[in-house]
Amino acid sequence: METIKKIFIVLGSLDRRIIFIIVGLSVLIPLLKPEWVDLPIRPTPESQIVFDEINKLNEGDKVLLSFEYGPSTKPEIHPMAIAILKHLYAKNIQVYGFALWPDGNFMSTEAFSEVSDDYDKKYGVDYVNLGYKPGGEAVIKGIASDIRTLYPADLQGTSLNDIPMMKDVINIEDFDFVFSLSAGYPGSKEWVQYACDPKNIPLSTGCTSIQVTDIMPYVENDQIRGILAGMPGAAEYESLVEAELQKMEISGKPGEASGMMAAQSIAHVVIVLFIIFGNISYFITRKKNRKG
Amino acid sequence: MLLKRQIPLMIVIGVGLLTLFGNFINNEAVRGFVDNDATQWFDIIASFAIFLGALNMLKLQLIKIIKKQKNWQYSILAVAGFAFAIFAGFFYRGANFITIADIQDGQLAIVSGIIAEELNETNPYDIKTKIMGSQDEYEIDKLFMTEGNAKLFMEKLTPFVGVINLKSKPWGAHVQTKGSLFYWMFINMITPLGATMFALLAFFVASASYRAFRIRNFEATLLLVAGIILMLGRVPIGNLIPWWVVSIMLMFGIGAIAAPFIKERKILLGIVSGGIIIFIIFGTLMGWNQTPPALLSIPIIQDWIFAFPAMAGSRALMIGIALGIVATSFRIIIGLDKSVLGG
Repeated sequence: METIKKIFIVLGSLDRRIIFIIVGLSVLIPLLKPEWVDLPIRPTPESQIVFDEINKLNEGDKVLLSFEYGPSTKPEIHPMAIAILKHLYAKNIQVYGFALWPDGNFMSTEAFSEVSDDYDKKYGVDYVNLGYKPGGEAVIKGIASDIRTLYPADLQGTSLNDIPMMKDVINIEDFDFVFSLSAGYPGSKEWVQYACDPKNIPLSTGCTSIQVTDIMPYVENDQIRGILAGMPGAAEYESLVEAELQKMEISGKPGEASGMMAAQSIAHVVIVLFIIFGNISYFITRKKNRKG
Repeated sequence: MLLKRQIPLMIVIGVGLLTLFGNFINNEAVRGFVDNDATQWFDIIASFAIFLGALNMLKLQLIKIIKKQKNWQYSILAVAGFAFAIFAGFFYRGANFITIADIQDGQLAIVSGIIAEELNETNPYDIKTKIMGSQDEYEIDKLFMTEGNAKLFMEKLTPFVGVINLKSKPWGAHVQTKGSLFYWMFINMITPLGATMFALLAFFVASASYRAFRIRNFEATLLLVAGIILMLGRVPIGNLIPWWVVSIMLMFGIGAIAAPFIKERKILLGIVSGGIIIFIIFGTLMGWNQTPPALLSIPIIQDWIFAFPAMAGSRALMIGIALGIVATSFRIIIGLDKSVLGG
């Protein structure tokens, strides 16, 4: 019994460098050898709602895709952007890229260039990238009232009047759906408050895990139709899109997030184990101190 | 004082009232101001704010270096990074590309082959089709960071084409174009650095929760139990945790919550271990190995925590914040709160 107690005390007072190494390995090994850990991905009802909402859009519909994330949150949000684009392109839906964050420009450029060629989509006809304007919620309000006053040209400097797919687009009411890829402020909440709720345009979101509790009240009220919550949400959406693409007999590369779920799962288990060991050690030490 | 306090205050009050009441007044001019003009003013001011912010950052970092304040060495990196970004954005474009036209008779296959080799394309026929399909001139689908590299490639093509031009993407658009120095900097420097900073959180969270997440009282226990369930329930591994593990966790959780109220430790141990045994026997007899109840599924418990306690807390916070914003905005609009004017 004493030996077990000693082991727990040692486990409860590990040096932080050892913890870092264990956490590092728990992430690294599943990333390098994903075939070692095969985990089933179960779509949550919220992810399923997002998928169903997008899936019921018709060919030629217009979707506003807003990029509100940067390099720090790219691993969580970018796989969602890729999966959403695949889904929209497969259904021949027109995509309009906007960015509320300066970094969003780069994220949108990368996402469009990663997917568009595979689906043979033409810039200006099937998708357009309008880019970033400073102002946060004021930009959203501007998009809600008149896009051209804010965006005279697209990201490449081409006048909106010269872009074929911008012909009939004046403000947010010309879109059939809005999807916000959000990592913070300004983001999904502001889209609800300043554009989608007042103008009654359906909105869905994909956000980081830490934002989920902030966004969920809007999801519960149906002001946001479903939510892709962090990397698990991205993996769930990828699995739904892959199944849909298979149905449509479209082949493609598998998504990134699904491959990362093993790493995240193992890392979470390791952290939980650390918490448990830390508490057992805490109780044993406290008992000893009281006796001593 | 008039210029510093009274006039700015009048502007704040005027614009605040107009924007607030603009939503309730059905007048074209007022609506136009609230929906278009005011938002454009905001955009212009926000653009200046970025400029001011950059200058302020530069000033602070330079003062730190000159006065050799604590950790001034890092400020050199900050200033160097700023200078490099300015250089890549305003002085060095990159993003050079080549256009060709008037390909000499019978040389199309050779030109397609050279281009395909440069682009690492396996099928030169695709390039040939694209060249033949182009109306005036054909833009080779590769961007060169330096003019030198572009010219080296041009030398290979020059003997076979009538017109060959070296061009660059326009200023401004170059920032978002692959092959520009700015784009290279963003993708190869800012992106990995940003991702690294965020990824480090995993290590700190692990270390901090290991040291600080202790069952000290009832509230801490609730937080810990909810935290563990959320951590496991949000990831696919949560689906694989069998019902009996969840029931053991549940009994430990009940034990931890009851611990402060039961002085005799042996009784507590008896309740927890007895509960676990009863739970497992009951579950086995009820056939939970085949069809476990929803109550003992980690993802379902996690969904419930999100849908009820977390949602209630989140809504309470939101309502509190909204009321605070209303009160603060009202104080600013009627001129009671002058903190927005600075000083």
